[in-house]
Amino acid sequence: MDNFGSELFTARDITKTYPGVVALSGVDVQVHTGEIRALVGENGSGKSTLAKVLYGGTVPERGEVVFSGEPLEFGSPARSLRRGIVAISQELSLSPELTVTENVLMGQLPTRLGAVDWRRAHERTYEALSDLGLSIEPRARVGELSIELQQGVEICRALSRDASLIILDEATSSLSKHAADLLLSRVVERAAQGTSILLITHRMGEVREIAHTATILRDGHLIRTAPLDQVSDDDILQMMVGREVRNIYGTRGRNIGEVILRLEDFGAQDGSFLPLSLELRSGEIVGVAGLVGCGKSELALAVAGAIPVEGSVTVEGEVVELGEVRRAIKSGIAMVPEERKRQGLLPARDVLENVSLPWKSVGVSAGIVDRRSQEVVARELGDRLNLKARSLASNIYTLSGGNQQKVLLARWLPLAPRVLVLVEPTRGVDVGAKHAIYEIIRELANDGIAILLISSELPEVLGMSDRILVMFEGRITASLDGESATEQNVAEWVLGRGVA
Amino acid sequence: MRGISVKGSSLWSEVSSSRYFGVLVGLVGLILLLSLTQPTFLTVANWQEIARSQSVAWLLALGSTYVILTVGIDLSIASQVAVAGMAFGLTLNAGVNIWLALLVALASGLLMGFVNGYFIGIARISFFVVTLATLSIYQSIALLSTNAQTISLFTNESFLRMSDLINGLVGPVPIVFVFVVVLYVLGAFVLGRTRFGRSVYAVGSNVEAARLSGIPTRWIYVSVYTISGLTCGLASLVAVGRLSAASPIADPNLTLAIVAAVLIGGVAFTGGDGKLFGTFLGVLFLGLIQNGISLVGISSFWQGLVSGLILLVAVGLGVLRDHEWVRRLSSRRLPRSIDESADDILLKEAT
Repeated sequence: MDNFGSELFTARDITKTYPGVVALSGVDVQVHTGEIRALVGENGSGKSTLAKVLYGGTVPERGEVVFSGEPLEFGSPARSLRRGIVAISQELSLSPELTVTENVLMGQLPTRLGAVDWRRAHERTYEALSDLGLSIEPRARVGELSIELQQGVEICRALSRDASLIILDEATSSLSKHAADLLLSRVVERAAQGTSILLITHRMGEVREIAHTATILRDGHLIRTAPLDQVSDDDILQMMVGREVRNIYGTRGRNIGEVILRLEDFGAQDGSFLPLSLELRSGEIVGVAGLVGCGKSELALAVAGAIPVEGSVTVEGEVVELGEVRRAIKSGIAMVPEERKRQGLLPARDVLENVSLPWKSVGVSAGIVDRRSQEVVARELGDRLNLKARSLASNIYTLSGGNQQKVLLARWLPLAPRVLVLVEPTRGVDVGAKHAIYEIIRELANDGIAILLISSELPEVLGMSDRILVMFEGRITASLDGESATEQNVAEWVLGRGVA
Repeated sequence: MRGISVKGSSLWSEVSSSRYFGVLVGLVGLILLLSLTQPTFLTVANWQEIARSQSVAWLLALGSTYVILTVGIDLSIASQVAVAGMAFGLTLNAGVNIWLALLVALASGLLMGFVNGYFIGIARISFFVVTLATLSIYQSIALLSTNAQTISLFTNESFLRMSDLINGLVGPVPIVFVFVVVLYVLGAFVLGRTRFGRSVYAVGSNVEAARLSGIPTRWIYVSVYTISGLTCGLASLVAVGRLSAASPIADPNLTLAIVAAVLIGGVAFTGGDGKLFGTFLGVLFLGLIQNGISLVGISSFWQGLVSGLILLVAVGLGVLRDHEWVRRLSSRRLPRSIDESADDILLKEAT
């Protein structure tokens, strides 16, 4: 690694345990200035914990970090920030009550004659945001923005800081491909100026695109650190999961049947997507791709009855009452929502209660819940989805992200849905769990369920879909055959540059 | 993997990891302390008095547990008790059948609770604003009903029979306490074993997830405030029965004492977690403090100070439980080998 500058930091023998889990075990890492280092590994492999140790989010039991020649004190984000360590993580740390400008320039608002120069502040924020391809009103309150835009603000704030190390912990997970690319190109620029980057991501493509070196972790152990031109993707995946990995999307089903779901002149009342018509057939997987804000998330909510809509919906010829989740469920429409924590899980409740949340009549008679019989159903689901949980009475947050996602999927299966809407079903999920989730989706399609797969990950849409719809600015702009579509082709449509 | 076990935990580990474990330990300590220092503490008469004096609080706390589980507070309960009591006294003195008067009291509680619930669940106004408003509205209605006069029921024949019943005993146990226990068993059954109870926890835990799963979240809010109103109606009957009079003046400390008892019992202020059994213990705990203070013979003005501190400690301990450093302490006590399979590593055990 002689083409990098001097050493920025060396972490030695970092060991961190959580109750029942060894998150990191004697890990050594050394990063140079201007180096882009990818940290790769499955969920629970310890990569986020390592990042936390660096940015002051946690204190390891053992080990030390020498940063710019001096030891780093653990456990204080403020102190790490002063040493020049900036982290962009999955968890947002914005103040929702403040404006975008106040968040982005927090602590560094420009002043004139002792007072804040708001005009200049807003201008600077606007520029910084458009640098990232984001058009966000700087005067807007952050709490009013969608989760994607909030993520954009968070990133913008981090990048506007003086830093010698930027840690990106799944920072692109809720961004569209386009926004993610812009972010990554800024990151590359920063690296060229001598800032070191620690990149944590599930997207192999990103690692390949920008990282120089990769450190592979598995179960808290350091497996290997290597320059990326010396290892193939298959090598890395194999080191991550400790076994060989093949085409994870499976093979497309052959039995696409009659129309199950029919949307006509179906549009959101708030205009987040415009009236559209759409048919979904039994056994068919229809993928929806599009940028953040193209209306695909709202389309999912609308089909599930969660937001006000106009137009008509029928399931197997039966008209569904609009804008009522209960009616949609009754007609056989189920949705696995985009944001696992905010829209899906019941924190502080156990696995069984999370799985059985929508079960109106499964293991319920005359309004009384028979926990035993629900447990039987839940255990069958657990076996079917290969769910890893210590017990059904464990708190849902003791499960890994992938297993939480399986729970959100599993809860609908006993209701025998006819239409399954999946929004970002593998976001923040490790490779192993991804594989399992794709397998289940295939299986469900083969059972005759019509599946609407809404995703920001193009490889996923391409790999899974029989038909690909692309949304751009609230409209469906393209309908492509899943088998013959290429990533290039879909990406053009996603960016609004496609040609029919 | 090879399936999921259902439950490997013993009763002890379930109790010791429950949210009411703290108050249980506190209760045992308090009972030990008072039994050793106060000779009259362990007498039947004293415990009968405790059971009787806490019965109103137990009933109100039952309803408030439902409300707090959905991340709310019913600030109007004391006013509701006053109105329901006046409704009972006025109808009874008007010469109607006592059963009808009982029904009127309960119905007025139901109605007041429903009005709260309607504004909170359907009109979507903050619980704090709604119950703060009805706190003073209901209080006014109670005062206006008799121009602030207390209704005395000493001379009412049919009331005296009811009052005998309320103040009576089954063996050594006060009837009101039996009544309270029956209602708690029923309330716990509804919370733990019915679809409705599950929905209450779900709404308190994550209302958006509940909505997206087809749970009628707005009606859950309406229901819990209506239940709270019903328990106010019941509590008013017990209060009137004990005093043989219906007072239009709401006790301003009552509401806060009830909320404190529920929180001390381990129900999460952030909703979605906690058990009715904890609430039962929380009320008993504050009742024993009250009893202890009067047995020791110090000024009852100490009571607020003591229960305030206990509330801080109890809720504070609950907050601490979720703190990183406590988890770190417990992780030292639970060493586990590094060489475990990846499957088990995924299972992060919460403490």
